[in-house]
Amino acid sequence: MGFLAPAFFAGLAALAVPVAIHLINRERKTVVEFPSLMFLQKIPYKSVRRQKLRHILLLALRCLALAILALAFTRPFFERQKLSAAALTGARERIVLLDRSYSMGFGDHWQRAQDAARAAVRDLGARDRATLVLFALDANAATPPTADKAQLERAIGAATLSAEGTRFAPPLKLAAQILQGSNLPRREVVLISDMQNAGWNRRDDVRLPAGTVLSAVDISSGDGRDLMVSQVSTDRTDDSTGARDRVRVAARVTNTGPQPQTVEATLELGGRPIEKKMVTVPAASAAQVRFASAPIPSGASRGTVSIPHDALAANDAFHFVLAPDEAVSVLIIEPGNARANQSLFLRRALAIGDRPSFRVAVKSTSALTTSDLVGRSLVVLNEVPPPGGGVGVRLRELVAAGAGLLLVPGDQTTDRWPPEWRTLLPVRLGEVVDRTSTSGGTLASLNYGHPVFEAFSAPRSGDFSTARMFRYRALAMPGDSGVDARFDDGHPALVEHVVGAGKVVVWPSTIDDYWTDIPKQAVFLPFVHALAKYAGRYADPRAWFTAGDVLDLSRHGELTSAFVSSAVAAPESMAARGVNAAADAPASGDLVLESPSGKRQRLSASGASHLAELHETGFYELRGVSTPVGSGRPIAVNVDRAESDRAHFETRELIAAVSAVPGTGDDGSAGGVSLPEEMERRQTTWWYLLLTALIFLVGETLLSNRLSRSAS
Amino acid sequence: MTASVIADASLLDPSVLARIGSLDLLARVVVQGFINGLHRSPNLGSSTDFAEHRAYMPGDDIRRIDWRLWARTDRFYVKEFEADTNTNFLVVLDVSPSMRYRGTAEDPSAVSKLRYGCFLAAALSWFSSMQRDRVGLATIDGTIREYVPPSAKHFQQVLHALERASHSAAVRADASGAGVATPSEGATARGAALRAMPSTLLAPLKKLSESNRRRSIIAVISDLYEEPDAIMSAITQLYGRGNDIVVFHLLDRHELEFPFADATNFMDLESGARMPIVPDYLRKEYKKLVKEHTAALSRRARDQKVDYALFDTSKPLDKALFAYLSARERLSRVR
Repeated sequence: MGFLAPAFFAGLAALAVPVAIHLINRERKTVVEFPSLMFLQKIPYKSVRRQKLRHILLLALRCLALAILALAFTRPFFERQKLSAAALTGARERIVLLDRSYSMGFGDHWQRAQDAARAAVRDLGARDRATLVLFALDANAATPPTADKAQLERAIGAATLSAEGTRFAPPLKLAAQILQGSNLPRREVVLISDMQNAGWNRRDDVRLPAGTVLSAVDISSGDGRDLMVSQVSTDRTDDSTGARDRVRVAARVTNTGPQPQTVEATLELGGRPIEKKMVTVPAASAAQVRFASAPIPSGASRGTVSIPHDALAANDAFHFVLAPDEAVSVLIIEPGNARANQSLFLRRALAIGDRPSFRVAVKSTSALTTSDLVGRSLVVLNEVPPPGGGVGVRLRELVAAGAGLLLVPGDQTTDRWPPEWRTLLPVRLGEVVDRTSTSGGTLASLNYGHPVFEAFSAPRSGDFSTARMFRYRALAMPGDSGVDARFDDGHPALVEHVVGAGKVVVWPSTIDDYWTDIPKQAVFLPFVHALAKYAGRYADPRAWFTAGDVLDLSRHGELTSAFVSSAVAAPESMAARGVNAAADAPASGDLVLESPSGKRQRLSASGASHLAELHETGFYELRGVSTPVGSGRPIAVNVDRAESDRAHFETRELIAAVSAVPGTGDDGSAGGVSLPEEMERRQTTWWYLLLTALIFLVGETLLSNRLSRSAS
Repeated sequence: MTASVIADASLLDPSVLARIGSLDLLARVVVQGFINGLHRSPNLGSSTDFAEHRAYMPGDDIRRIDWRLWARTDRFYVKEFEADTNTNFLVVLDVSPSMRYRGTAEDPSAVSKLRYGCFLAAALSWFSSMQRDRVGLATIDGTIREYVPPSAKHFQQVLHALERASHSAAVRADASGAGVATPSEGATARGAALRAMPSTLLAPLKKLSESNRRRSIIAVISDLYEEPDAIMSAITQLYGRGNDIVVFHLLDRHELEFPFADATNFMDLESGARMPIVPDYLRKEYKKLVKEHTAALSRRARDQKVDYALFDTSKPLDKALFAYLSARERLSRVR
């Protein structure tokens, strides 16, 4: 009789577990949150330990079950078979994983990595096969499994560095897939990388097939010296005329080396050098360099802060785009006989601020035309019923396409509203609630988790309780869904409803000081700004992307708005977000994305081809098919700065984590030998043992439950 | 207790109250329901209650002269009423992590101690506001998180601060993962966590006692996870300044009865320390210690002339209101 895995006899040590369980009761698995352990910590530990082995039978069952389990795992067999010689000396399936992340561009790392890959290929025998897998954030097989060494070496020679970071899980998973489909008896994986700690997430569940030998070639040199531009910030400033046409750029230069470094940092705007400044960066630290304010070139312009190239050149420049000031376009519609101040407070509040700025137009309902709606991000119906006819249709289309509609009913009731609008509304406008007999109502309950009120959630960050609501309309609605604020009598104070890709928001009082004094409160301005940004779906434009990011044009309408022609309805920065697949959406493939290396890709603002992977660093250019080259919208892409952290881990740790059969060797390789199937069939004894252990465990469970019930 | 009181008390069930979105509305439901159950005037202790006559003294308001009595006696007497104290009412609400505890995670209607404390604070504040008292709030968590000074106009601010306290506690709970101790730390930290536990009451109550110069009724709402001596020394600072203190000690049913069955690791919400616990073996001693703790608090509070009441957060709010009313009524006897 023999044992395939005698190491599992160590499992007999687990017999101590039931004894311990009997001492401190059952095993602990989960964590229970408890307010305080204050009292539990006061209980003397020995009082627990004093618990005697009261349930001898239970203990015996547990010990027996564990012993049988341990025996089962040792895989006993009665007919010893010699391992097949073929399993040890047969043909090999080798996967060569070659790291091409940009950190491999440090010094001669890439050259050494390619040499190591070639060595791994040359080592193959005549019957062996190999696959070259190149990886950075993702992994791709550069060759199919092949015994052709020349093909493999050509693929190694053709491999280039990417601009992306490192992730070890994808190539290891790909290797596992290839190996599982292989019929060769010996399986090997060769990992060639600088073994960056940042590339390995310990929670990644990657397992290589049993019997796989994983060997790692660590090409890191231990030289950590590197200077990089790690961050850039831009601050628009006013010139003497008050126009916001200047920018002040600041950059952060990081030194990971052991010695202080002095370098020259250069700022370029619109492709032209603007300023050069010397900066001294202490050892293992960072320093900030501030450039003088410079005029902003017209349109979306390219900016770069760079330092001279060092051993790792990819992170020596930081690209960004200075976008034109994106304004939220707001249309306020008021009645022909509007009060003098009816839109004054709203208009004045929106005129303040520049992140974003609001472009506000006020129109009388009688003078409203469909052209007034073009490009609007937010429409405010300020005590007017929704427009009918063609304007009403256009407005509904605009909202469905992603614009916001703020309803301020005031004296209006839904009775006079066009029927198609009544179905669109989340609520029915009820009677006027008059609180003038008292000191007025208040906003009593706000959802501080909502984007509109989030800015007020911290202590002393805005007080709505001082605002008095003298009159408002009762809003009748089927449930609580969409209610973001309530008055002190429980009536909804702010209700929102999603219509297509847009939002309808109802504020049941007035937006001036006619029915409420909230326009005279300090919270009015930030409240109105938050409301307009939320309803108008404003999002801050991105100044740069990171290599490996996926550009979703449907979410970045600010990039495509200049090249997308919509009929009437689609609002600025919104038609291109793909929020409406109606006739206003641009046709598929009417945009071109050109990479820094000149590769072109046809895209559309919506539909199937609105996604593009950004693999290269520098400036992409997005333009319409008929837009001249150089006139498009630049998109800055930088390398992921996390990849610049070249701290690395022990390869043995990775090998131990991904190898199915433990047993790491001194040479940094690990693995075992897959056993013949016929041998597997002969070792069925462990099944019977497992069954026996199961029976014992069931008996233990029944007995344990019985004892627990009797104890309680 | 009459049937009507019981009927109304059902309205005060925390799980029912949790469905009311507005704290303002909730406060009215609680207090009015409670008052109706008592069959008593909601104007308890207000200035409408006549107390006695007193001889007129120069400087007294002549509008208070009882002219009928003058007609009968030819002497000036002024009418005195039960004290119209117009006192300060300050709620001190503990918003420390342990107050987030909600024993029955499976029951969505169950409320956390913090939420229960918010209900209680809102109800008491509304009640005091109706009495024309100045209401204020301090949320504390080792320090004073937010302070709304007592004022006759601050009721709504108190409610907003309570809403914010609930929201902030939830946000902090979501972000609290980093502070969790590892099991090994927990295993070796037996007893150490108790020593390291910061006092959540002493520093903020000291600050409050220094800043709050006007005599006040102060309702301290907390789970009081500190040694009774530390708690009472903190409270004594307030009492020493002439304040009337009512301590509402909130505990979840799970904290009182320790109904856990499975042996597992327990994690301290305050410190993040973990500790292996076998509930069956520890339950008896745990309940004994909790009982001793509450008994000690009660005894020390009585010695210090501080009102103390222990509340199970699964129980309706009426008991808490009775405790408050008794204290309020006592103070209103002062002329």
